Amino acid sequence: MSPHTAQLQQQSSSTFPARPAGRPYTVLIAALGGEGGGVLAEWLVEVALRCGYYAQSTSIPGVAQRTGATTYYVEIHPEPLAVLGGRRPILSLAPAPGGVDLFIASELLEAVRYVANGLVSPDRSLVIASTSRTLTTAERMQMGDGRMDEAALVETLHRHSQRCIAFDIAAATRAAGTAPSAVMFGAIAASGLLPFAREEWERVVRESGRGVEASLRGFARAWDVVRAGGEPEAVAPPAAAAAPTGAIDGFPAEVQDMLVPGLARVQDYQDAAYGRLYLERVRQVLEAERRSDPAALNGYALTRETARFLALWMAFDDIVRVARLKCSASRFSRVRSEVKAGEGDLLRIVDLFKPGIPEIAGLLPPGLERRLVRWEARRRAAGKPPFGFSLHLSTTSVSGFLALRFLAGLRGLRRRGVRFGREQAMIEHWLTQIRNAAAQDWRCALEIALCGRLVKGYGSTNDRGRENLAHILDHLAAVAMPPEAKAEAVRKAREAALADEGGQALDRVLIGNGAPPRPVKAQPVVWLTRKAGSAAGR
Amino acid sequence: MEVSFNKEVQQLRQGAGTTFHGEGILAITKALLQSGVAYVGGYQGAPVSHLLDVMVQAGDYLSELGVHVEACSNEASAAAMLGASIHYPLRGAVTWKSVVGTNVAADALSNLSSPGITGGALIVVGEDYGDGASVIQERTYAFALKSSMLLIDPRPDLQVMVRMVEEGFALSEAANTPAFLQLRIRACHVRGSFECKDNIAPAVSSRHLMEDPAAFDYGRLAHPPATFRHEKLKSAERLPAARRYIVEHGLNELFPGKREDLGLIVQGGIYNALIRALQQFGLADAFGDSELPILNLNVTYPLAPEQIADFCRDKRAVLVVEEGQPEFIEQEVAVILRRLGIDTALHGKDVLPMAGEYSVEAIAGGLAAFVGRHAPELPLAGGKQWLDDIVARREKVAAELAEPLPARPPGFCIGCPERPVFSAVKLAQQEVGKVHVAADIGCHAFATFEPFSMGHTILGYGMSLASRAGVSPMMKRRTLSVMGDGGFWHNGLLTGVESALFNGDDAVLLILKNGYTSATGTQEIISTPDDEVKAKAPNKHQSLVDRNVTIETTLRGIGVQWLKVVHSYRVEEMKKTLEEAFTTDFAGLKVIIAEGECQLERQRRVKPWIAGKLKRGERVERVKYGVDEDVCSGDHSCIRLSGCPTLTLKDSPDPLRVDPVATVIDGCVGCGLCGENAHAATLCPSFYRGEVVQNPRLGERLLARLRSAVIGLLQPA
Repeated sequence: MSPHTAQLQQQSSSTFPARPAGRPYTVLIAALGGEGGGVLAEWLVEVALRCGYYAQSTSIPGVAQRTGATTYYVEIHPEPLAVLGGRRPILSLAPAPGGVDLFIASELLEAVRYVANGLVSPDRSLVIASTSRTLTTAERMQMGDGRMDEAALVETLHRHSQRCIAFDIAAATRAAGTAPSAVMFGAIAASGLLPFAREEWERVVRESGRGVEASLRGFARAWDVVRAGGEPEAVAPPAAAAAPTGAIDGFPAEVQDMLVPGLARVQDYQDAAYGRLYLERVRQVLEAERRSDPAALNGYALTRETARFLALWMAFDDIVRVARLKCSASRFSRVRSEVKAGEGDLLRIVDLFKPGIPEIAGLLPPGLERRLVRWEARRRAAGKPPFGFSLHLSTTSVSGFLALRFLAGLRGLRRRGVRFGREQAMIEHWLTQIRNAAAQDWRCALEIALCGRLVKGYGSTNDRGRENLAHILDHLAAVAMPPEAKAEAVRKAREAALADEGGQALDRVLIGNGAPPRPVKAQPVVWLTRKAGSAAGR
Repeated sequence: MEVSFNKEVQQLRQGAGTTFHGEGILAITKALLQSGVAYVGGYQGAPVSHLLDVMVQAGDYLSELGVHVEACSNEASAAAMLGASIHYPLRGAVTWKSVVGTNVAADALSNLSSPGITGGALIVVGEDYGDGASVIQERTYAFALKSSMLLIDPRPDLQVMVRMVEEGFALSEAANTPAFLQLRIRACHVRGSFECKDNIAPAVSSRHLMEDPAAFDYGRLAHPPATFRHEKLKSAERLPAARRYIVEHGLNELFPGKREDLGLIVQGGIYNALIRALQQFGLADAFGDSELPILNLNVTYPLAPEQIADFCRDKRAVLVVEEGQPEFIEQEVAVILRRLGIDTALHGKDVLPMAGEYSVEAIAGGLAAFVGRHAPELPLAGGKQWLDDIVARREKVAAELAEPLPARPPGFCIGCPERPVFSAVKLAQQEVGKVHVAADIGCHAFATFEPFSMGHTILGYGMSLASRAGVSPMMKRRTLSVMGDGGFWHNGLLTGVESALFNGDDAVLLILKNGYTSATGTQEIISTPDDEVKAKAPNKHQSLVDRNVTIETTLRGIGVQWLKVVHSYRVEEMKKTLEEAFTTDFAGLKVIIAEGECQLERQRRVKPWIAGKLKRGERVERVKYGVDEDVCSGDHSCIRLSGCPTLTLKDSPDPLRVDPVATVIDGCVGCGLCGENAHAATLCPSFYRGEVVQNPRLGERLLARLRSAVIGLLQPA
């Protein structure tokens, strides 16, 4: 037994399965480009050499600086060089599936990927994985929520490893002000796999030259967490769990968590009368639900979800609302912390707006609105781009701020504007469908209520959402079919509407359920005057 | 480039009696100097970029030795450089990524190997095959075979790799034939050690110049009728000489085993994977001592028939472990055995996979079949169980995960100046309709991934414009060809631009001018801004590629009439320029240059500059973009137009909203694309730009205080 091994056994609390003689220690590292995986692999080889062991590392650095996944693999022969008598062990350049003693990953999804590839063995492998996520583009670009379920990912790691220590490597890295490599190095050291004393590991960091103190802080943090067997589960209180104050009379307790903030949102958006309208609308749906589900077997989910989406819709996004949000004091301080402006630093906030004709026209009464829209249509027909002001508004300057305050003050104009009326009509249409459906089938009504999610955003995004909703209400909800089938069809259509911007998925669902596809929208087309056989040039 | 290889350059100086610790590709670089190489050239590309990068930065030391280094404009130019070894006793080495680089170099290689060489010629190729590869999956072997060149495939132990470089030069000289030395991706990056020798300053060198050119010798020209004699020489003299050298100097290694009746023949490069596979069945120990004898081929072409025959003669069965297709070695072994009437059973691709990397698992599967058939008495159960477990485990996890895991392909860097260009292409297509996009090799090929998913074909480096020549005459709408400045100089100027002009083609070419061949590691090219310009620039954030107009003057000089240069961050302007190119009456070649310096290089300048200013207490302004969480509605169209890693999602703080909102996380370099897109696409008003001034001046501070006092009076909570 080497002196290092003796030290280790006093320190380590971890358990690795007994190893056959001569089998190398194997460490697989999964990192993302720019996280210092190369340095980490170099350090690992360094600590082994320093302690008198034969080590080899390899990597698939990928296009490393460019955000893709990278892997590093290290093997260390288990006997010190001194006893090898000049013989060179043959170490593998790539991990054998199931042949990994320690797998460490700086990102949760990447950790699961290696488990899915079969590299990790439930008999042999310790998995140290970060609970932090760097979302893939595929997850980020969805119109709804495309993120993987994190709890399920962590669960997969536990189920398929011999042991799993999951902690937030990204947070530890930030807290120590270092790179993920230093934290991961500490975690590997603390795992107890390798027979090297803590001082040896730290010496390698110390002699690496740059950012030593921060690296050592990160190392120590990881050491402590891994020795403790992981972090205590961070219990984040869900935002909705906060008990709403001032429950609203006449509504069941189950809906208050949506109704209270919903009412506040609508009142703040317009006025008390608008708030009363909101409550009245919810009340009508509640009555419909009570008829449909008298025993409240579903916990008033229909009313609750309607209250949610109705509030969002009634407080639809327009210039006035945005201006109001942008000039508030709480927003100023939030931005200050988001951009990490220090105590004595100056902060200038520049807001980027491009209000177009639809946004402006929506605030105008019908006559004016028609003229403005016609003018814009003529311009577009003449091949000109949509009219819009590209504004860089300095909100922290007095003039910029006053401009926003002025816009925020146009709340009174809103009620008389064309858009307000249109939104109310559409809302009523949706609510009517919910109530009608509830008379037949509670679940179908709920699915229609949930379609409120489609209406969001600004400009073309908002148009698209409302058109999709209208189409589902008018055509799919109108098709004669059994209530359960209809509920299912509406659910599928809603999910399809969030699947792609072009609406192909939605069209497929519509056609599949006997409804017509969405109408083709008129769009200015640029014609190229190229005819067949007219080779240009010579 | 702004990356420093100081440490590596120091390692090149190590002398006899010291031990080198480091990566495989650097060991090879050092081995070149230990072999007395006189000139080195090449074209960058993973996994061998490092060789040339370090050599270029080691300029001072190399001129001490008299070694010349040339960063060639493409692989053909590097291969042609080896022509120096035809007449002169100069050892030369060139490097590139294979198989793609070898394809480009093939013309020169044929013309080099036909007359043959006097000084040793070594071509270090990064065999970009298997896990982590970025190019089409083909073998370099075919080139060695067809041109009768030598192919060295060393066992991935630094000691062996270094020896094979040294022996490779000698072998090349003994056979008057250029040699490939191929290194797989992991072998380039393997970190190990070897005992150094002193470097050798070449006898003829840039310090000791030759007085006169060689005497005229028609026989050394790749020109008929000399070429007819060359072909005969290859088989009659050169390859036999190579075979003799290989056997006499023990370049291939014979590892004995207890089971003399069986044998394994393996390419050196995958020897370690074979040993690990044998270990899975308990058939080898930690030091490679195997039950089955192994013939390890560090030279895979040519084979020495007598060596193969001697190995196989008294064996019942032999397995050839040869990665990639087709099975060149196995076929040749079969011919050797057949001709000599040796009836040893031969296995290879019948039990091993035809395609794909020979991982431990892949080899183990073949071993199980081979040993199971010819020596079922050996204990195979443990290894087979291990193989079965892997498959079962994968199936189980796949079944548990409701859906396949999303892929994580590489993408544009944070602040990459190419991202906005593809935002503009996406927006322009919304106006003029979808166009056929001929993509190319380079960072811009990341636009083929989400969220852009753009590009119909990739035909090779610099080939995009040429690859649409058959498409554009057949299509009503114009086509778009995308090319980087790296690809432009590598090949695109001639194969694309010249051809399109000569044929009067109606085409649109978009050149991404970022100043470097960035995908290969930001190596400099002829259109890179000068160091002097970089040193003088007062603002280090600034893109400096506009200071070098070699591309523009070249295009004008060759006759391009429609040429627009647009800063890549002006999304609206880029969109309009693209629309104009797609619709203008001008029917010839239209070139748009998207100008914006590689962000990696800029950040490498900016970081020390800012750090220095802050240390001195000077005024520093930095920019970060952000999203107002209460304004964002969670539609994420901004992400679909950008894909920037720092523009991501978080849970909405609003209890009413169900969809996550967009957020800008740390790491944002304030490139401005979020703002440009918000305007160009009329996205949504949630974006803001935060300009933070550190160490502000007194006047600024007072003005800010006054402003916030006024605003505070009118501000809602």
